[in-house]
Amino acid sequence: MTGEDPGPLIRLYGLTGGRARPQGETFDLVAIVVTVAGSHEFADLIPEHRAVLSLCRRPTPVADVAAHLRLPLNITRVILGDLRREGLVTIERPRPVAQTIDERIYREVLHGLRSL
Amino acid sequence: MGYAASEPGTTAVAPALAIKILIAGGFGVGKTTMVGTISEIRPLHTEELLSERGVGVDDLSGVESKTTTTVALDFGRITIRDGLWLYLFGTPGQDRFWFMWDELALGALGAVVLADTRRLQECFPAVDYFEQRGIPFVVAVNCFDGARRYEPAKVRRALGLSETTPIVLCDVRRRDSVKEVLTTLVTYAVEGARPPAGRR
Ligand SMILES: Nc1nc2c(ncn2[C@@H]2O[C@H](COP(=O)(O)OP(=O)(O)O)[C@@H](O)[C@H]2O)c(=O)[nH]1
Ligand SMILES: [Mg+2]
Repeated sequence: MTGEDPGPLIRLYGLTGGRARPQGETFDLVAIVVTVAGSHEFADLIPEHRAVLSLCRRPTPVADVAAHLRLPLNITRVILGDLRREGLVTIERPRPVAQTIDERIYREVLHGLRSL
Repeated sequence: MGYAASEPGTTAVAPALAIKILIAGGFGVGKTTMVGTISEIRPLHTEELLSERGVGVDDLSGVESKTTTTVALDFGRITIRDGLWLYLFGTPGQDRFWFMWDELALGALGAVVLADTRRLQECFPAVDYFEQRGIPFVVAVNCFDGARRYEPAKVRRALGLSETTPIVLCDVRRRDSVKEVLTTLVTYAVEGARPPAGRR
């Protein structure tokens, strides 16, 4: 399950400037990321940033962004923190479970599971 | 617009919701298999960088040194409808990854503790973890071929579970079986979330 693979880390180091924690308010593994309208047209962006902006034109959870970029979660989060600071994406803020999952959502989830 | 426009550097509430469910249990009990059986995507796995001591890496300088490893985190997805997803996360097994559990568990709908009756003791840490944090969980006994079938009552006693904690016998390779485990969990979680009658 774990493996040592220092090679790719060198590239990751470049992507984040050595940071392993995102800037600003913390956000969840499944927080929804949304590209701010118009920001995917910025030209001078690194490919990873452009990929995020393109993907998140549809609301996309952080974990999916990481999988899509094939990057570790904490690297992905540094990238997302940077994009948020630039005003290019919004990221859902953490909320207690009681506020996010109400009875209607539970019912929808149950119905959805049963009809799988 | 379903979500508020935001100032640079701030966050906004998006018109979509992703719900986490954790799949916990000892090594080799069938967590990854369970995620794969029900997920609409091949279980993706993403990695979290870790230092050898099992704390999150705060600074990646010194990457050439062998103090950095990665831990794979399996996850699968079920789309309930456009903009509502269920994410299943197989929790990393070893104790030194507890700090990741905290993050996974935060805001989660609930958890499945997978148990193998041949080594029930391996799910004690997970049971303790979810009990202490008041996170709704069900115990799913993965009935490996040839494994002795336990009565749920015996499992309940052996694990010291409360009367209300659901116990389901399952086969993580079968979709219907995994569906039953998840619907049991969601049904149980919604009962816990509902305010007691007459005290609204
Ligand atoms: N015979 C049998 N094998 C199983 C069952 N569930 C899991 N396995 C096998 O047990 C091994 C470990 O399962 P895995 O899902 O990787 O466990 P994890 O470590 O909890 O993620 C795999 O080779 C599975 O194919 C089961 O119900 N019956
Ligand atoms: Mg596994």
